[in-house]
Amino acid sequence: MTGFVLNGQNVEVANAPEEMLLLILRDTLNLKGTKYGCGAAQCGACTIHVDGVAMYSCQMSLGDVEGAEVTTIEGLSDDGTHPLQKAWVEEQVPQCGYCQSGQIMRAAALLSDIPEPSREDITAYMSANLCRCGTYNRIFKAIERAAQEG
Amino acid sequence: MTNSTPTSDLSRRKFLQGTGLVFAFGAVGVSSVTGCSQSTPPVPLDVNHWLSVQSNGVISIVFPSTEMGQSSYSTLPQILAEELDADWDDIEIRQLNEDDRRFGNPLFGGVLYTAGSTGVQSYYEPMRRAGAQARDVLLQIAARELGVEKTTLQTEPSAVVAPDGRRLSYFDLAGLGVEGVVIPDVETVALKDRSAFRIIGKDLPRRDVVAKSTGRAEFAIDVEVTEMVYGAVLRAPVEGERALSIDDAQAKAMPGVIDVVELPDGVAVIAESLWAALGARGLLIVEWSSTSPARSFSSAETLDLYTAAAEDAAAEAATWAEKGDAVGAIASADRTFSQLYLSDYAYHAQIEPMAAVASVDADGQGAEVWAGTQTQSWTAHTVATTLDIPVENVRLNMMTMGGSFGRRTALVQNYVRDAVLSSQAVGRPVKVIWTREDDVKNGTLRPAAAQKIDAGLTAQGRLDGWYHRVATPTVIGFFNPVRWGQVQPNDVISMRGAESKFYGIDDFRADHVITPRQARLAPWRGIGASYTSFAAEAFMDELAEQAGRDPLDFRLDLVAENPRGRHLLEKVAEMSGWRSRGGRALGLSFAGYSSSMGVGVAEIEVEDWGGIRVTNFWTAVDAGQIVSPDNSHNQIEGGIIFGISSALKERIDIENGEIVQNNYYDYEVLRANEVPPIDIYMADVDAPPVGVGEVGTPMVSAAIANAFHAATGKRLRHLPFTPERVTQALQS
Repeated sequence: MTGFVLNGQNVEVANAPEEMLLLILRDTLNLKGTKYGCGAAQCGACTIHVDGVAMYSCQMSLGDVEGAEVTTIEGLSDDGTHPLQKAWVEEQVPQCGYCQSGQIMRAAALLSDIPEPSREDITAYMSANLCRCGTYNRIFKAIERAAQEG
Repeated sequence: MTNSTPTSDLSRRKFLQGTGLVFAFGAVGVSSVTGCSQSTPPVPLDVNHWLSVQSNGVISIVFPSTEMGQSSYSTLPQILAEELDADWDDIEIRQLNEDDRRFGNPLFGGVLYTAGSTGVQSYYEPMRRAGAQARDVLLQIAARELGVEKTTLQTEPSAVVAPDGRRLSYFDLAGLGVEGVVIPDVETVALKDRSAFRIIGKDLPRRDVVAKSTGRAEFAIDVEVTEMVYGAVLRAPVEGERALSIDDAQAKAMPGVIDVVELPDGVAVIAESLWAALGARGLLIVEWSSTSPARSFSSAETLDLYTAAAEDAAAEAATWAEKGDAVGAIASADRTFSQLYLSDYAYHAQIEPMAAVASVDADGQGAEVWAGTQTQSWTAHTVATTLDIPVENVRLNMMTMGGSFGRRTALVQNYVRDAVLSSQAVGRPVKVIWTREDDVKNGTLRPAAAQKIDAGLTAQGRLDGWYHRVATPTVIGFFNPVRWGQVQPNDVISMRGAESKFYGIDDFRADHVITPRQARLAPWRGIGASYTSFAAEAFMDELAEQAGRDPLDFRLDLVAENPRGRHLLEKVAEMSGWRSRGGRALGLSFAGYSSSMGVGVAEIEVEDWGGIRVTNFWTAVDAGQIVSPDNSHNQIEGGIIFGISSALKERIDIENGEIVQNNYYDYEVLRANEVPPIDIYMADVDAPPVGVGEVGTPMVSAAIANAFHAATGKRLRHLPFTPERVTQALQS
């Protein structure tokens, strides 16, 4: 059994500790907001927070989060009203939406590290995630809005 | 002359399910109407197949396309809601999950097909008319109930209002029956003047944004059904090969593995988890056949072959567009020029890889499928032909897609087929998921192309004849052979853009030299225009230079009869400071997609190591009537970023029939720190809508190439403009 805190709740998972954390979150714990995109630390669709740090969950195993605090998009806010989520809606960021859970989780880590980021801080930090639809400029604006209004 | 059809016309009346049920309540006062509707079972008013006005305060509108990020899911129902004069908050959107050709896309012969930026263009008229027809029926019911002439009544969102202020909601009216109602002919029913629009042209929030900002949007890869298991497919390494022998002993011995299923071009491992399926897949030992002609495919040789075809004036070609006598005009021109342009294969790189869930019925005579595809028709066709069952026995769930860009359009969708065959084999629902590597290695690509353009100039430096030859395979011939049988030799996917239709060129010709296919192909955002417009607009700049003219002036000569195009050229020149650009490296390009026009200016910086950085991009677009301005802005911006990404980075290589690249680390797409500010102007015109999904992409490559010339005096003629090619150009 691997125990950790998931979105504020203690969970115990019986799967083998070497299994990919992303798949545990999605298929064992049924939190489908975190996405698979590449499995290679390239696209960031699987971004979650582990002890407050943005991580690619496709690069972690279940055993890596033993005792850790894990947050997914489902746990970022109780009701979808995190300042970033409100800003995402206000700026109408998503197109296909597939990458956006990861983008929002990455952005939340950015604002935690740098509460008032410059545009350069934002573009550098957010370069860990891909958006194939090309919503980048809206992502930047939404992060700036959340930083101001959050 | 009357264009009305009485209710006795059964072909129209069949949708009016409320008929007769409330006849006894006719011609009563408003308060009585309300009372009656409360005591009557809810009966929806279905004036036509597009919508249902229900007594419970909901208006259901059919969404006939599929959603891949373009927002048709919101935009198309808005068109109907406008003419119905409905309150948008009352609208419930119903995804069309059937191959019901009543909703077919007129621009694709009535097939349910979401592609080519056609959604709004195709459905604008029919969905407006469906809404107007229903509004007219609601007005007639209200007139009857209120005892007044219909012409005295007006509508406000979801309500009919009388001159004396009496007001009947659509939901009350829906339950009152259609006694005496004459359904207006849908083809001639009066439509709103655009000055009266309350929804079209306004910025209503997209319906899917909250779900997509909270992780709740459900994609095919997310679908869970009872008893479902997972499939990972080891696919043949080269197109056309098949398994000769399969040693699955180790794979089957793995915990959680249920079965190993042979597929026409692969081997599926079915397991209780994706983790187990992927692990066991790695233990399969398969001997593949090695006789496929595709083994000889090599992208370097392919481009050489296509180049030879483009340069061979005697090569057989299908004329794509022609006006006047291009060859004669060029032969007699004061000066003539010719240039060759090349472009490599490109991959879609949508971030959701292929995924589908299939649940085949125990008797094998039906199946339920959850998939994200661009076509209900061909997905249903795929399932029906795989199981040899009637298409009516296929139950589809069209899921929102994690991007597509042309990826999920084929007549036969192998990832859907594999899920169906796997489910049939194991007797349980199966979710097949491709890894990113599966998606790249089995990608269906934008074709490689070689293009040669010849043109003449007059002594005054004006264009005098244009002959564009595009050597590339037929794309339609591969991804939809049935369609190719109908349209050949005209392949819009391979050739779009080469018609240069926004310019008035008197002596013009564009030919398609249909070369042998040496890769799996599919439509790709912008289709042919993503490379034909690169060649055409890069060459246009070279001609302007030869003529000693400003690239803007040279193009303005060609839009004398296209005032809307001229406006865009002038507008983007103003936005970018073109006339006073001084030493800034700006490049101009006028392209578009179908009938949507886009003019772009790129500003770039060139790094010593061969990198190109786009520092600004300005665009002016005319796509006719814009239904959703904010979403159109998002689509155009995304199209431009797609264009920058493909111009600078994207390239697939093939060696011995196998795609060389693997994942985003060797097929890179544009990242956040590489995205320029993008300034977008959309013309406000009273003209039919013609689409915004792809108009941003085709203009970009030439704008960058032309800016590169402004920066360095050198030309880039091979897409993508990789650092190696840039360095080579700088040293030339």
